[in-house]
Amino acid sequence: MFDRLFAGALLCLSGLIAWTAYHFDVPFQYEPLGPKAFPLILSTVLAACSVWLLIKPSPNKWAPTSAVIVKLLSGVALMTSYAFLFEKAGFIVSTAIVGTVFCILFGEKPLRAIIYSVILSIVSYFLMKHLLQLNVPTGMLFGG
Amino acid sequence: METLDFLATGFSVALAPMNLALVLIGCFVGTLIGSLPGIGPINGVAILLPLAYAMGFPPESALILLAGVYYGAEYGGRISSILLNVPGDAGAIMTTLDGYPLAQKGEGGRALALSAVASFAGSMGALTLIVLFAPLLSDLALKFGPSEFVWLMTFAFTCLATMVGSRPLKTTIGVVIGLLLATVGVDSGTGILRFTMDIPNFFDGVDFLVVVIGMFAISEVLVLLESWLRNDMKMTPVGKSFVSMSDLLAVKWVVLRSTLVGFVIGVLPGTGASIGSAVAYGTEKRFAEGHDDQFGHGDIRGLAAPEAANNASAAGSMLPMLTLGIPGSGTTAILLGALLMFNITPGPLLFEQQPEIAWGLIASMFVGNIALLVMNLPLIGMFVRLLSIKQSYLVPIIVMLTFIGIYSIHGDSFDLYFMVVLGVFAFILRKLGFSLAPVILGLVLGAVLEENLRRALSMSGGDWSILLNGPITIGLAIATVLAMVGPFILKRVKKQK
Repeated sequence: MFDRLFAGALLCLSGLIAWTAYHFDVPFQYEPLGPKAFPLILSTVLAACSVWLLIKPSPNKWAPTSAVIVKLLSGVALMTSYAFLFEKAGFIVSTAIVGTVFCILFGEKPLRAIIYSVILSIVSYFLMKHLLQLNVPTGMLFGG
Repeated sequence: METLDFLATGFSVALAPMNLALVLIGCFVGTLIGSLPGIGPINGVAILLPLAYAMGFPPESALILLAGVYYGAEYGGRISSILLNVPGDAGAIMTTLDGYPLAQKGEGGRALALSAVASFAGSMGALTLIVLFAPLLSDLALKFGPSEFVWLMTFAFTCLATMVGSRPLKTTIGVVIGLLLATVGVDSGTGILRFTMDIPNFFDGVDFLVVVIGMFAISEVLVLLESWLRNDMKMTPVGKSFVSMSDLLAVKWVVLRSTLVGFVIGVLPGTGASIGSAVAYGTEKRFAEGHDDQFGHGDIRGLAAPEAANNASAAGSMLPMLTLGIPGSGTTAILLGALLMFNITPGPLLFEQQPEIAWGLIASMFVGNIALLVMNLPLIGMFVRLLSIKQSYLVPIIVMLTFIGIYSIHGDSFDLYFMVVLGVFAFILRKLGFSLAPVILGLVLGAVLEENLRRALSMSGGDWSILLNGPITIGLAIATVLAMVGPFILKRVKKQK
């Protein structure tokens, strides 16, 4: 079932790719093949493969419980908010918050999770920023 | 003799103080990453790649570091296989079969020591073969034109499709997705924009690092979240760690055969350490016919074979990557991408024009393997203790490193969002039984494949018969067909028996 859904999506995608590639506006071209051919070939292969998968899907026993789905979704939400906070709140604040929640998601007690993540974020900030000289956002809170 | 000169140049690069330090760091981190269940070599290399890039190392140093992580992880993978019955990475799955029973008998120390020596022998054997074959292969590849390269890549994808993953069809789809991702961005031939959806960040193409980290590290975090259970794995006591001469003598032919098997499978494009170790284990079991009742119950032959083979394939997969620009495994695909980021095109010319990179890497692997043997015999206790680190402490570090790594490339939050999106997509792919290595291989080779195809057809004025114009192209075409139908015929023959 999962396979069929995915194959259907891929089939639509390959159609979209082919359509887009066919309508590329190529003002000039010095070679016989041009920029259209390769994507067109690929979308044909993709379409053929998806049809095959649509006809012969493999069995899939993946049946996550609602608890697992909640956990996965919170993981995704957590990483998205990390991406949102990373620059705006700065590395130390965002890492401390997101790290704490991840610790708790993996079964750590809240207090220990907070202590661990705060230490982790401060130590890594100085390690990455000053020792390795990487581009780590300081954040507005600390005047970055 | 010329080879020895080049090798000497290589050692002068590898033994420079900074590179020596990087080899040691890489091997140490690699062993660590390999031994922690969950993060395999691909993730280790992927997480460290942007850091190495952002720190502005010269290309040979970055490559030496990342390669150290790669083969170091093949050593580390066996530790948790033997002690916990949980493979640290895919190449170490076969090691659990005989390693864990040995540990249960209280011979964990013996198993760890013997497998370290087998790993070392496998790596060193494969490296010697690389030194012998690299000049030959790169000389041959100098004769290759665009049509030959088109076939070489088609051959690589075909090998990948029929030998890796649950179904050839799914691997093919993975490759095509990777190839399509590679077409995003400005077209080098005409300057038009393709599939950018008017997002300026895509004008330059999708960033290789973002794709690699998103697909491997981020999806891995999701997999860990899904599979997380309370950490109650029981560690088997290690016992005394020692290498006995009689053990070594008993497995010497096993190790030699497995090294050869591992090397050949490593060199074949697309197939990496996990297949190498599986084939070697099967071969040894067949060789021992009649005396094989101990296999699976703690036979030292069954322990030495996969360990020698997975290290030999890890080293072997470097050979096509360096000489032809075709990666032999998922991890070498990432290394290839790393080289391309440094504006270095691996392939036959690499050995002529930048011998310090190619030979420096090869020499560093000799140095690194000696360091790994030292790390893995006396220092094994430290790695064993690290195995008990809780996932709740590990995951925040992984997530943090991926975000720092990606952010420090362009300093743009867009990359972070895109990385998370790719991670979710890759997680879905994994749940549907797709492997991710084909996608990365497609992404890395996409631009090269298209360029060579277009160049070949420009030379012929649009005549497709140029793809079958000489003995090499025809040979490669036959090899591709064989790789396509061979496995099916073999399966048929086996069934009829």
